[in-house]
Amino acid sequence: MPMPSSLQRLRRELFATPLDSLISVLLMGGLTAAAAGLLHWALAQAQWLVIQANSTLFAIGRYPLDQQWRLWLLTTLLAAATGITWGLLRAWPRPDRPARLWPRNDVLASGLLALLALLLPAALALTPPLQLRWWGITALMLLARWGAGCWGPRVPGPIRRLLPLAWPVLYLLGMVLINGGLGLMPVPPSQWGGLLLTLIESSFAILLCFPLGILLALGRRSDLPLLRWGSVLYIEFIRGAPLITLLFLGQNILGFLLPGGVAPERVWRAAWVLTVFAAAYVAEAVRSGLAAVPRGQLEAARSLGLPVHQALIHVVLPQALRVALPATVGQFITLLQDTTLLSLIGLLDLLGTARTVMANPAFLGKNAEVYLVLAVLFWCCCAALGLGSRALELRLNPNANVRSTLANAKA
Amino acid sequence: MTSPLSSAAAASPTVMVEACGVEKWYPNGFHALRGVDLCVHQGEVVVIMGPSGSGKSTFIRTFNALEDFQQGSIVVDGMPLSNDVRNIDAIRREVGMVFQQFNLFPHLTVLENLTLAPVLVRKRPKAEVERQALQLLERVGIHEQAQKYPGQLSGGQQQRVAIARSLCMEPRIMLFDEPTSALDPEMVQEVLEVMQELAREGMTMVVVTHEVRFARQVASRVVLMADGQVVEVAPPEQFFTNPQHERSKQFLRQIG
Repeated sequence: MPMPSSLQRLRRELFATPLDSLISVLLMGGLTAAAAGLLHWALAQAQWLVIQANSTLFAIGRYPLDQQWRLWLLTTLLAAATGITWGLLRAWPRPDRPARLWPRNDVLASGLLALLALLLPAALALTPPLQLRWWGITALMLLARWGAGCWGPRVPGPIRRLLPLAWPVLYLLGMVLINGGLGLMPVPPSQWGGLLLTLIESSFAILLCFPLGILLALGRRSDLPLLRWGSVLYIEFIRGAPLITLLFLGQNILGFLLPGGVAPERVWRAAWVLTVFAAAYVAEAVRSGLAAVPRGQLEAARSLGLPVHQALIHVVLPQALRVALPATVGQFITLLQDTTLLSLIGLLDLLGTARTVMANPAFLGKNAEVYLVLAVLFWCCCAALGLGSRALELRLNPNANVRSTLANAKA
Repeated sequence: MTSPLSSAAAASPTVMVEACGVEKWYPNGFHALRGVDLCVHQGEVVVIMGPSGSGKSTFIRTFNALEDFQQGSIVVDGMPLSNDVRNIDAIRREVGMVFQQFNLFPHLTVLENLTLAPVLVRKRPKAEVERQALQLLERVGIHEQAQKYPGQLSGGQQQRVAIARSLCMEPRIMLFDEPTSALDPEMVQEVLEVMQELAREGMTMVVVTHEVRFARQVASRVVLMADGQVVEVAPPEQFFTNPQHERSKQFLRQIG
């Protein structure tokens, strides 16, 4: 049977019977009307001045003006590192398939980035020097991606293995740049805000809750009763309490419990509460992954003489985490969105900043514009996490490798 | 665990496994091993047969402490088994084990499956281990598949990789726990041939299997276990043609 053309297929799927046709027409009409309405509102009625006037506030809060160069430097470094990583991932061959330097999606993504870099600064009515900086940063990233793609294959093996370490180093460097220290003027966390604060809180919590969650999951399956019951108690207590109550607890109780001055800054207290909270959920995701690894795997590793910790690290956990990855990333995405609760305990994360902006008499009644921008920003962050997790899943799954080799063999 | 027996075993270099009065109860109260004795000498191939549920697998799994036991003693290569983790790890380094379900590591290539333990446990240089691993893979006839993942191999190939993986640790004794039971019939022979070859080279082997032909051709002694006890120990010819115990005769009638 010849493949039906897309027009035929559309007809078959949407207009098979009179009732189908009616439903299709109504649905399409409704969707078109909604899209047209949104477009009309966005282009004609909405007043984007509230975003243009507060773009810096949304991005970094009240970070001191004379120290903002540190954030620009960090953004530049991040852009370069992203470009290089992206290029190297494409340039280095993988066990299951040959390296392809420019897959179609990469071309599309690069084009989209270039377009955004051209349009967004103008839409935000940034001053020309700032616009220039954004163009420069985007150009640097694409250039780094191109260069790493070209010269990637010539990087020798030992350096290849060390290169991923650049990211944790960059993260620590970023913390120093944001926070100050090592000769830089300190900028207290109370002056961080907007997207900057949201990203700091969520990245800190994501990075720490993951190892903590793994330890808790292992503890819950341990043979030692104390460890097992401790983990169960922790997980069930945390999962039984709403995050917002834990956040309030962290803000209020910690100050009483710890002697004066020892309690960490409010921003860090909140970050720790987020970490502790998310770890319980990550632990359950990892536990489901551990349960999916057959018992024989640990037995085989142990019978080869591997001590328990090596058997876990090299045999059990790689398989368990692969299974647990989708659920874990789902948890990370939830965590990112949960950071909006910080606005309720008085921190100026994205939502908190938005609330102060909307409370400004000059921008009264501009809630729709602000919330729409917020939604798009969060969607972008979550989409990035989701994309990263899908790519990682494909890379870690030997069954996917099998499928592609089989397909190659048949071709 | 310092019975006179174990010290005697330590003194004699030719005794590889000395199990004495091994008793095991499962947590649910099931009495799986009821005072099992067995002595395996260096270079011997001991085949353990018996109906399912007779405790054969449980018994050989006590040799490398994959199963614990409550009474009796086991001495492996001069080392008395104790609950000390270091002692158990030391014994496991000398005892290779092949499982019914292969238990290859699916996230590692065939070559990585072989090199993992020697590099991590024996701390040998990776290049040297890889060379040895490729030689072993050639010996079991699958060196072209070294870069593939276990999921891409047939059952028989996987089991041969599993044997090579154990051999890569250079064990002094090999345990086989029903190595061909999970295989399609046409793949049984290729695995048995590898085991036969190994026996010919003088490896000490304890094999739990239902393969009568293998037992007849390769075994030094056949052990029949039933209901957690050793019923009969005899050379294969005698065991298969002239079994002494009623339980052995009944078993042979059932599989014959």
